[in-house]
Amino acid sequence: MSKNQTVEQRYLPEIQRKEIDELKTTVKGASQKIIADNIARMKKADSHRPDTMKYFDDIANLFGRRQQEIEAEKQKGKKIIGYLCLFAPTELISAADAIPVRVNSGWYDTSKLGDRVVPVEVCPVIRSTIGAKMIELSPFLEQSDALISVLTCDGMTKLSEILSDQKTIWGMNVPRVKDSTQSLRFWSAEIKHMKTQIETFTGNKITRNSLKEAITTSHRATKAFRRLQELRKGNPVIMGQDAMLVNQAYSWDDKKRWTEKTEALCNELEKRVQQKDWVCSPDTPRVMLTGTPMFWPDSWKLPALVEEGNPKGIIVADEQCSGERILNDPIGVDEWSMDDMLNAISERYLMASTCPCFTSKDGNEDRINWLLNKVKEWNIQGVIYYVLRGCMLYAMEYNRVKKALDKINVPVYYLDTEYTREDVGQLKTRVEAFMELLNARIDF
Amino acid sequence: MITLGIDLGTQRIKTLVLKDGTIASKAQAFAGFDPAKAAKQTVNDALNTAGLTLPDINHITATGAAMDLAPHANSTISMMGADAKAGVFLIPQARTIIDIGAEEARAVKCDERGLMMEFVVNERCAAGAGAFIEAMARALEMKLEDMGPLSLQAERASSINASCVIFGESDVVSLIHRQESKPEIARAVFDAMADRVCSMVHRLGVNPEVVLVGGVAKDPGFVASLNRKLGLQVQIPPYPDYAGALGAALTAAMRAKGAAK
Amino acid sequence: MAGELIGNILSLIMLVGLGIAGVIAVLVWKKNRASRVTFLRFVIQAVGLAAFFFLFSLEPAIPLLYVLIAWFAVTLFLGRFFCGWVCPFAFIMDIENLLRKALKIRYRLLPDKLNLALHKGRYLIITVFLLFPLILWIFNPPPDTATAIMMARLLAGPFRPYSLIIDPLVPFVVPWTGQLILGNINFSYPYVANITSLIQATPGQIFAIAFVATTLIGAFLVRRIWCRFCPAGVSIAALNKFKAFKGVPLLYIEKDEAKCTKCGVCKRVCPVQVNDVYDQKGGKIKTSQCMLCARCVELCPYEDTLKINLGNKPVFKSRNWLEPSIINEERKIE
Repeated sequence: MSKNQTVEQRYLPEIQRKEIDELKTTVKGASQKIIADNIARMKKADSHRPDTMKYFDDIANLFGRRQQEIEAEKQKGKKIIGYLCLFAPTELISAADAIPVRVNSGWYDTSKLGDRVVPVEVCPVIRSTIGAKMIELSPFLEQSDALISVLTCDGMTKLSEILSDQKTIWGMNVPRVKDSTQSLRFWSAEIKHMKTQIETFTGNKITRNSLKEAITTSHRATKAFRRLQELRKGNPVIMGQDAMLVNQAYSWDDKKRWTEKTEALCNELEKRVQQKDWVCSPDTPRVMLTGTPMFWPDSWKLPALVEEGNPKGIIVADEQCSGERILNDPIGVDEWSMDDMLNAISERYLMASTCPCFTSKDGNEDRINWLLNKVKEWNIQGVIYYVLRGCMLYAMEYNRVKKALDKINVPVYYLDTEYTREDVGQLKTRVEAFMELLNARIDF
Repeated sequence: MITLGIDLGTQRIKTLVLKDGTIASKAQAFAGFDPAKAAKQTVNDALNTAGLTLPDINHITATGAAMDLAPHANSTISMMGADAKAGVFLIPQARTIIDIGAEEARAVKCDERGLMMEFVVNERCAAGAGAFIEAMARALEMKLEDMGPLSLQAERASSINASCVIFGESDVVSLIHRQESKPEIARAVFDAMADRVCSMVHRLGVNPEVVLVGGVAKDPGFVASLNRKLGLQVQIPPYPDYAGALGAALTAAMRAKGAAK
Repeated sequence: MAGELIGNILSLIMLVGLGIAGVIAVLVWKKNRASRVTFLRFVIQAVGLAAFFFLFSLEPAIPLLYVLIAWFAVTLFLGRFFCGWVCPFAFIMDIENLLRKALKIRYRLLPDKLNLALHKGRYLIITVFLLFPLILWIFNPPPDTATAIMMARLLAGPFRPYSLIIDPLVPFVVPWTGQLILGNINFSYPYVANITSLIQATPGQIFAIAFVATTLIGAFLVRRIWCRFCPAGVSIAALNKFKAFKGVPLLYIEKDEAKCTKCGVCKRVCPVQVNDVYDQKGGKIKTSQCMLCARCVELCPYEDTLKINLGNKPVFKSRNWLEPSIINEERKIE
């Protein structure tokens, strides 16, 4: 904290220590409450949740066990490297014996504080992260020694600037056209540069073996993750919000333990499949979420509304960088040489991404293909296009997505919202009407 | 078969009794602070008018923003679903139904069975809904009912922005400062609102048969503006404000029939 | 005879090597899904190598003819499958590749333009190789071999140049600087035999050494360098280009556009730097650059995105090589 007082605050307002502490206490209380509420709602939505979910409920408490674990590691001298965007090569962080943790925040209360620094039109993810930094709320953001910020959208670009008063920030440039050799070359150079930066910062050299180890760890995680998603293909055995929480927990949990627990969850679910023990009626409309990321805990209002509404739906897939995109693509290493591993990492993070910040001569068709394929494979009956107000990229891509989905006769509903908790009533009306629509389509 | 539909809107609560496919009676009341009580009141009123008692009713379906508070309700249906049902019941060839209430504007696309296919709702702000007109009437210091007929006298159109009720009001004030005439400002208000509704409808794709329901449908000024913006004649059924309740009652009839089978 | 002794030793080594390759393949097959096909390929290559070794140990003229006919027939269906899976020279290059990996030296890439130029330049190369011995033959005609049948004469005798299409099969041993003929077998590097035997002079030897050295070193640094302009590959690919063979069930790679996330793995792992699999949006991959080695299909992490089809039936599909839930197979909802 001593560092904060000496550095001139170029972006964040000067707030008295006392005010920070006061705000922190109230907001933290509210946040803990919303986390507890969300978990209670999830428990209520599924009366016999898988036992393994207990672990994830525990990890979902951002101020609990995981915070203490990271703190303990930090005391031992490990570096914590946070990242603000999915493009950050976490394998490089792990390979340098540092802990990668995602620091985007999902608190409504802090987004209100962020309004003091940036206009309300800015996407709430950015505002909330700024607000969290202002009152030192987010445990992972506070613990991280450096931040990797990938400059995908305008918000992220300026967010990293705003945070630079208090944190070491490493920006990574993302080429906007990913389908060209020069883009890949550029991005590979960024990845290689990031490798050197991480090495210098942590003082640990990333060796062939440590990187191989890190990549293998991600492979195992991807394997567990994909297993879980495959289980959601058939009749529902797990609530969408539970699965979403599992997926998102990866971004702050210990990778190996997460893999273990997810495998355990899958074992449990497989048993349920054999017993035909469905979590809800197999006729429940199958819904996919797409659009802006949903960060724990405040964005959980939407999945909860979908799955406890009357009539209700079940979320079986999503296309979000806070969800399935975290782990969907494995790193395709051809030969385990340093060079090839780094190339594989570059490709995995750039080319496999369906972020709307990309374009090509066919637009962002990778995303369309992903959605269409998901609809087919996961038997999706309706798509909710979720947009946090302020995310221009997602909002502007809606039209194309709608046209593509219209062609295959899958209804899509554009739902725009914020982190606010107040608009739940309105959201409920819309979500339920959409579910009614889906139900009617199934009946006829 | 006798069924009852309750539409618990944000401002008014409407109840309608349907007897074998014809409307037997209807009643409405302000929602006020206790919508459940008001709803009960309307149910009683409607039953009294029709000369029925609660046990005579086969099925009660509620709709509207506060549908969870509805008394005696056996089931609920979304407002969009109810609109689609009522729209097609009233005007069989209708395929697009616009429902503009106090706080919310909706456009629903439906098929010939009255099943909704797709819908759009105005985004959070009430600028596309009845509350906007109310606020503007207040700014113009006139009664809500007078504003529609007055706007029809306007010869040219000024323009205001309807992205937000509050900013819309300040736009009106600046028109007043520019000493524009009242009819013109009134027309500008309706035009702005019709613009919003029009873009909503266009997102669904316009079908030639457009039906307008909801309380605002009773305002001739808005209807004229909407016709102008959409480039077609929207159809307005009798008692457009009861469409939601009618849709709910129709759904109740369907559900009661389904249960009897 | 020293030559026969070497020949016997070689065949022994061949058999032992084959056995070891088989055992290794079985072990690896169990271990890692992402490289199973590669190891299967090694086994087939080893078998191919042995087969050719013994085939060529026989009286050359007639079997060579049969091989040629059979091979022509097979390539109609399989295209450059031969290059990817059977060719002994490719096997040598693959072993070099293994050696490079073991030494932890990274491979180099040819610039895309050069790669494509080489690919297109194959025709020029094949013309030179075809004409060169023919011209020399005109100047110095060899004696007639009347005993062989016409086709055999064609291949072994005066029309020796035409056998160059199958000459890449010949080098199943480490190339020698000069010719190595054991009995009637010509143990030589491709084309070198023709050139040196006809020139019988130092410039030819120098040319041969230079050729061997560059391709060997090249293949060590650049994966499958020879395959990119191999004249034998040209002949195979050329056959498949005729429209008349359209009805024939061909072996080809097919890509499913909807499932592809364009992650780029297929592009990077390709040993001959084929970009078409990545660039093409979907459908049948037609380029004759591709040798159907299936490395891209093997490493594509998405189910059924890349397929190798024979006719219209998939013989090998890309799959999630991380092994997903097995239970899913039983419960896809209808």
